[in-house]
Amino acid sequence: MRQPSVIARRVAAASVSLVVAAGAAACGPEDSDAKGSGGDSAPHKGGTLTVLNSQPQTDFDPARLYTSGGGNVPSLVFRTLTTRNRESGEAGAKVVPDLATDTGRPNKDATVWTYTLKKGLKYEDGTPITSADIKYGIERSFAPELSGGAPYLRDWLVGAADYQGPYKDKKGLSAIETPDSRTIVFHLNKPEGEFPYLATQTQFTPVPKSKDTGTEYEAHPVSSGPYKVVKNENDGEHLVLERNPHWSAATDAERKAYPDTIDVRSGLDSSVINQRLSASQGADAAAVTTDTNLGPAELAKVTGDKKLAARVGTGHFGYTNYLAFNPKVKPFDNPKVRQAVAYAIDRSSVVNAAGGSALAEPATTFLPNQKSFGHTPYDPFPAGASGNPAKAKELLAQAGYKNGLSITLTHSNEKDFETSPEIATAVQDALKKAGITVKLQGLEDNDYRDKIHSVQDEPGLFLAHWGADWPSGGPFLAPIFDGRQIVKDGANFNTGQLNDKSVNDEIDAINKLTDLDAAAQRWGALDKKIGDKALVVPLFHPVYKRLYGSAVKNVVISDWTGVLDVSQVAVK
Amino acid sequence: MSEALAAVGTAGTDSSVPAVSGARQFWRRLRAQRAALGAAAVVALLVLVALAAPLLTALEGQDPTTYHPALVDSARGGVPIGSFGGIGADHWLGVEPQTGRDMFARLVYGARVSLGVALAATMIQVAIGVAAGVAAALGNRWVDQLLSRATDVIVSMPLMIMALALLAIVPSSFPRPVLVTLVIGLIGWGTIAKIVRAQTLSLKGLDYVSAARLSGWGTWRVARRELLPGLAAPVITYAALLVPTNISVEAALSFLGVGVKPPTPSWGQMLTAADVWYQAAPQYLLLPAGALFVTVLALTVLGDGVRTALDPRAASRLRVGTGRKDAAAQKGAAQDTAAQDSAAQESAATGKEASA
Repeated sequence: MRQPSVIARRVAAASVSLVVAAGAAACGPEDSDAKGSGGDSAPHKGGTLTVLNSQPQTDFDPARLYTSGGGNVPSLVFRTLTTRNRESGEAGAKVVPDLATDTGRPNKDATVWTYTLKKGLKYEDGTPITSADIKYGIERSFAPELSGGAPYLRDWLVGAADYQGPYKDKKGLSAIETPDSRTIVFHLNKPEGEFPYLATQTQFTPVPKSKDTGTEYEAHPVSSGPYKVVKNENDGEHLVLERNPHWSAATDAERKAYPDTIDVRSGLDSSVINQRLSASQGADAAAVTTDTNLGPAELAKVTGDKKLAARVGTGHFGYTNYLAFNPKVKPFDNPKVRQAVAYAIDRSSVVNAAGGSALAEPATTFLPNQKSFGHTPYDPFPAGASGNPAKAKELLAQAGYKNGLSITLTHSNEKDFETSPEIATAVQDALKKAGITVKLQGLEDNDYRDKIHSVQDEPGLFLAHWGADWPSGGPFLAPIFDGRQIVKDGANFNTGQLNDKSVNDEIDAINKLTDLDAAAQRWGALDKKIGDKALVVPLFHPVYKRLYGSAVKNVVISDWTGVLDVSQVAVK
Repeated sequence: MSEALAAVGTAGTDSSVPAVSGARQFWRRLRAQRAALGAAAVVALLVLVALAAPLLTALEGQDPTTYHPALVDSARGGVPIGSFGGIGADHWLGVEPQTGRDMFARLVYGARVSLGVALAATMIQVAIGVAAGVAAALGNRWVDQLLSRATDVIVSMPLMIMALALLAIVPSSFPRPVLVTLVIGLIGWGTIAKIVRAQTLSLKGLDYVSAARLSGWGTWRVARRELLPGLAAPVITYAALLVPTNISVEAALSFLGVGVKPPTPSWGQMLTAADVWYQAAPQYLLLPAGALFVTVLALTVLGDGVRTALDPRAASRLRVGTGRKDAAAQKGAAQDTAAQDSAAQESAATGKEASA
């Protein structure tokens, strides 16, 4: 039922459509990103930070935002019970306390989670933030008119499946208790060791009931963070944020909030954004983007210019692009055929089609190649960098296709460099060497999505991708491989239609774990076990390359979001 | 548009005279125009290249779809390694960024799509246009009304938008080049039908046609034996001008992503993929753009030459057939005419784009 996060998809789509290119492979996240380019690299308070984006901040209401880790711009205004650690790289994939004093105290089987709020928390008008406000914020996200968030709360909270929000149902959700103004307790209907990750989403933002204006609230949501909204034009196309005087750095270890003003301008063309950032003139010198990548051609240009190359941030985000099989369709019912395809894949040409080694890393595992996901390196069908057509032919012969085989690869016609014709033709060319003739079936994007998520119409072989709502193995593996999540009449994400009791049981067992590191290890092991079944052929993990203005300092890019964190940036 | 139409119209009216010596005279007049001859040579070469695409690529030792990941710099977004996009003995025009596919092979195979689709679509447009125009002119009031209004509707519909809509709804299993040909052919016949109808109406009143009718020939026989030869000049002229338009339309449709599908190469599609690369790998954009430019220019100049050769007024200025010296003396005049004509043409083309 869960979908890859909207943010994830948008981010990735933007990354590709922009397609530009900047940094050489050598600029890793640590070296090029840790420092700004100004002479005095120490960050100071003051100035105006401009954010140049293609996607507007639509529906700027904490109930309606679908974010990973609370989002980037939203996180400047909305504080949540927990949040992501604002550090570069791997450390940034950790969940840390925000409004709460810790990341949550579970009961023994992780079905009851208790949080205590820090002391001295205030809204932008100086009134105190209470646990009841957090409960109310969550309840209003259930209102049909404020939909848009992730479905987890509805799935997880006891008795929440049919809850219609506080406007219709004044009694509220009994699954959330607020014994006092600083304590909040959540009752879940099954063990969820990853609840702290969920508590980073903007639905866990306090909303004062007296200030709630329903669907109008998004025009001026009451800030709990370092900035308040002073202007919101055209549904988030132009957003101006200024300091919230009642926010106290003493209660917030994560947000640095150096600039005095944040000016978010959206609806811009990706090439315009990159052009303005590379020119870096006037106010654009203090500009960043949170949703626009460099594309291959732009990267080729930027890498030729040392000064520009120094202004490129590199980020990783938990995301995998892969080939998916439907084993109910011949000849993919035969594991040998699936393995043959896996051996024949030429990952170097697929990576090039996705923008080259600076924008994509070859993948042999379904889990993204990051520690927080529990990534365990494995390669059950080693194809090398450029494929092993000989081994593929051998397997095909064993499967009874001595004289080759003809198959259809379904893809989207959307120009996103993920499930698009460019990737499909690269796969087609690689399989040709193994004697597999691939017919391409390009579908209009909506049609493509409908088909691949329908048990009845699912094609035998198609391009797919999956992104994480938070950096852990749970939201990555469970929706795709949990047999109980096969949806017969609706959007089905278990495209391999795997229903293996040992896999299902292991998913349940890991969800009980509240030690996230231990859980990560188990997810990694489970990924390896599923990988042997050849239900998918992992192709690549995308890498984000983002330009930033010449006056930008204190660049932090975490593995959680993969993009420059605006709460850390300084422009003075 | 109207200027071009008027010119085509007069070209037809006045040259509708004896058809027999007409062909020889036409060639003589065409030969007298150097630009047209040069253009004809270029067109012939392009057709030859398109036909011989498999041979040429075999000679080079490449094909248009094989990836060469080792020939592009993966760390720099897949820009071709080497100067000028990796030009060398193995890859005569270099390789494509990101894929490393051979540019020469893609260009010559792309020529097949561009020329093939444009020529076939022109044939469809001419066939439908002539049939509708003649039928409207010779049919009774109702037939004329029906066909003329249908023609008006087709002419008034913007070609690109119609084509985009049609191409988007047809299932992708339908062979794409055939589909693009059909769509362009079935939408773009309106103007030619109008010209043919007007021309047929004026021919119908001429004595030799009346004589044929009075001698008891049926409508079909009159149309075939007496009218069609008289229609040849305006139809050929207009068809010659349609080919480059159709090439541009095919390129535009492929550029917008509804034309032929990958991995089949087409110039329009190459342009789409190349537009972001204009700074990092300019040859990737310049090669298909140049090919398209040369082809459309050559076909337009040739079409213009055909028109001049069939237009007695222009021909009289050329004074072809009155001796070589005269022809040489009048060359300047001929060039003036050509310049005027192409200016008229340009404004016609602009008008068309604007209406689309």
